[in-house]
Amino acid sequence: MTRISGKYLAKRIVVSYLTLLVIMSLLFVLLRSMPGSFITSMISSGMTNEQIQQIRETWGLNEPLWRQYIDFMINYQTGNFGRSPTYNAPVADLMIRRMPRTLVLFGATFLIGFIIGPLVGMYLGWWRGSKKDKSIFSTSLLLYSMPSFWISWLFIWVFNYELGWLPSAYMFTQFPEFQWTAFTVMRDVLYHIALPIMSLTFIGWVGSMLIMRPTMNQVTDEGYVFLAHAKGLSERTVMIKHAARNALIPVATGAVVGLAFLIDGSIIIENVFNWPGMGQIIVTSVLNRDFPVAQATFFLLAVLVVIMRLVTDVVYTYLDPRIKFGEGE
Amino acid sequence: MTLLEVNDLSIRYAVDDGSAVHASDDVNFSVEPGETYGLVGESGCGKTTLAKSLVHLLDDNGYIEDGEVWFETTLPQWADENGDPKQSVIDDPDKPVRADGKTDLAQLNSKQIRDIRWRDIAIIPQSAMNALNPVYKVGDQIVEAILRHEPETTAEEAHERARDLLERVGIEPDRADDYAHQFSGGMKQRAVIAMAMACGPDLLIADEPTTALDVIIQDRILEELEALQEEFGVSILVISHDISVMAEICDRMAVMYGGKVMESGRTEEIFDATANPYTLGLKNSFPTITSKDQDLVSIPGTPPTLRDPDEGCRFRERCPFAVEECHAAHPPMYDVATADAEGRAVESTDRRAHTTACYRIDELEQIRTDAINESTWTDQTIESR
Repeated sequence: MTRISGKYLAKRIVVSYLTLLVIMSLLFVLLRSMPGSFITSMISSGMTNEQIQQIRETWGLNEPLWRQYIDFMINYQTGNFGRSPTYNAPVADLMIRRMPRTLVLFGATFLIGFIIGPLVGMYLGWWRGSKKDKSIFSTSLLLYSMPSFWISWLFIWVFNYELGWLPSAYMFTQFPEFQWTAFTVMRDVLYHIALPIMSLTFIGWVGSMLIMRPTMNQVTDEGYVFLAHAKGLSERTVMIKHAARNALIPVATGAVVGLAFLIDGSIIIENVFNWPGMGQIIVTSVLNRDFPVAQATFFLLAVLVVIMRLVTDVVYTYLDPRIKFGEGE
Repeated sequence: MTLLEVNDLSIRYAVDDGSAVHASDDVNFSVEPGETYGLVGESGCGKTTLAKSLVHLLDDNGYIEDGEVWFETTLPQWADENGDPKQSVIDDPDKPVRADGKTDLAQLNSKQIRDIRWRDIAIIPQSAMNALNPVYKVGDQIVEAILRHEPETTAEEAHERARDLLERVGIEPDRADDYAHQFSGGMKQRAVIAMAMACGPDLLIADEPTTALDVIIQDRILEELEALQEEFGVSILVISHDISVMAEICDRMAVMYGGKVMESGRTEEIFDATANPYTLGLKNSFPTITSKDQDLVSIPGTPPTLRDPDEGCRFRERCPFAVEECHAAHPPMYDVATADAEGRAVESTDRRAHTTACYRIDELEQIRTDAINESTWTDQTIESR
């Protein structure tokens, strides 16, 4: 059953698109208000004025700013992200290579966090005030207040340095002694992704738990939970089917907010673990004043958040039948 | 043959500081098949607690301290092919089953009682409006109850029955596919009633069934309950503070105060030959349609907290008729008929008889006369607690 009308969805997509236009404009302004220019790195001491002028010409910096802005907006909407001066390659190629790596890391962390968090929150909220709740809850708060890079170093120290179980950097083995087949690639990536995912999810689940626990506790006082007990349903059925199902609704909102924080976290984690994804390139490109790459990474991360927002709105209508978009407005 | 027999039931709520709230103390009553029994009293008197405790639906800190709840049923695993308990189960001293086939619900564990809930005793909760889960279709919630207790039923059959039940309470069967938010308040109430009848229970507990409803809907709900009773022969245990509603629908009732039954008997007896100061006070505070210009008199003071209560009659602090004797112990139940006829106080354990918990039953006429005067209630000084 669809509870979301096509017209409403179309409207939401248009709004999302406009949001992205605003983000693009902001990006353009912000990056150009940074001191220096991105060709600074290409200019060396021995260059003549003509050579510098030529570089400026090549990168379109002699055009007036408004012209640059219009070119930028048109190019971006046609998928032309320009060339990276530092990598000397089309930005789109870089993005296509790096985006999936970050998505794998993001996706896995996001999924694991949003499975563990609500599950733990469900149990703690249901048994709120019990000894188990008190101890797990205070432990999780302690975890929540630890910075992710610190956890990462801790994990590297324990699992890499002390135990030697897992690699501490990169996505693939650098000088492999095995043949690259689909299976060995998979295995190798899993081997390398384990530590970053562990570090991210070690604290990543707490956010959604913090939303689930109190809402779970609230719904236990609801009339329908009492009635579910009165119907003779088992404790488990009442908890999962009647209580948790309702408590999940606010968690979906939290997921969007959580995603933004997760992006923060992955930027740090990618740099700590030398993970060749978007989070890593976002830092190097800003440091190198590689505007085309910086612009594109920020932009694509923004696209990700905007898409997730759209998805949650649709998910909402399935989670809560009282929410109906685009009808009888 | 009695359907439900409650003996000396005491329920406590544990409090953090180690004390206990005596929500119900040594309560006795019984419900016959097809009868409507009322528990009436002001908020906090223990009537809802008492009803919920029958099927162990108390809050986490509530527990049955003592007493028996004999109910005409048995667990599925203890039943023979006729649904009666097997002889071996009756003979087993570890199983709370009596020779007359009744089971003591108070002794069942939490898993066992879930088989009794809804199949034998269904509840229409106080907040029936919020009792429907917002994320599931109303029909599916009825189906869930049917499939829980009758696993051999197919989903299609259960759906068909859910539609029939809704139609039975005046809701279009197609509305089974709607969600609770698409129902009006009265419809939700009726849907919950339909759900309560899903497994054909023997006892229906209706907790304040009309409280949040306007009078027109109230009347319809009461009619609905009466019609269901006639059709299915279900007994109804009604809980309400509204004695006018109780007068209308109950065959028999118990007036509760501070966790104790103060007076019990047939409804007419309680209204026409009231024999307890508390019931007299309660009657004064409700308008009747027949007496013009009636002044409503409320009972001064507030109900006791019930936290480790003192000895003595629970009502004595607000009772204008309290004497020295009332401070020693809560009075036993006295037979009202004997008192009326012979002016004597005779203790009675007969649940069918009109009985009252008041030491001054031998001065019944005087008390009834004085209770009508407003000054009797307003002039007394309330003992400080």
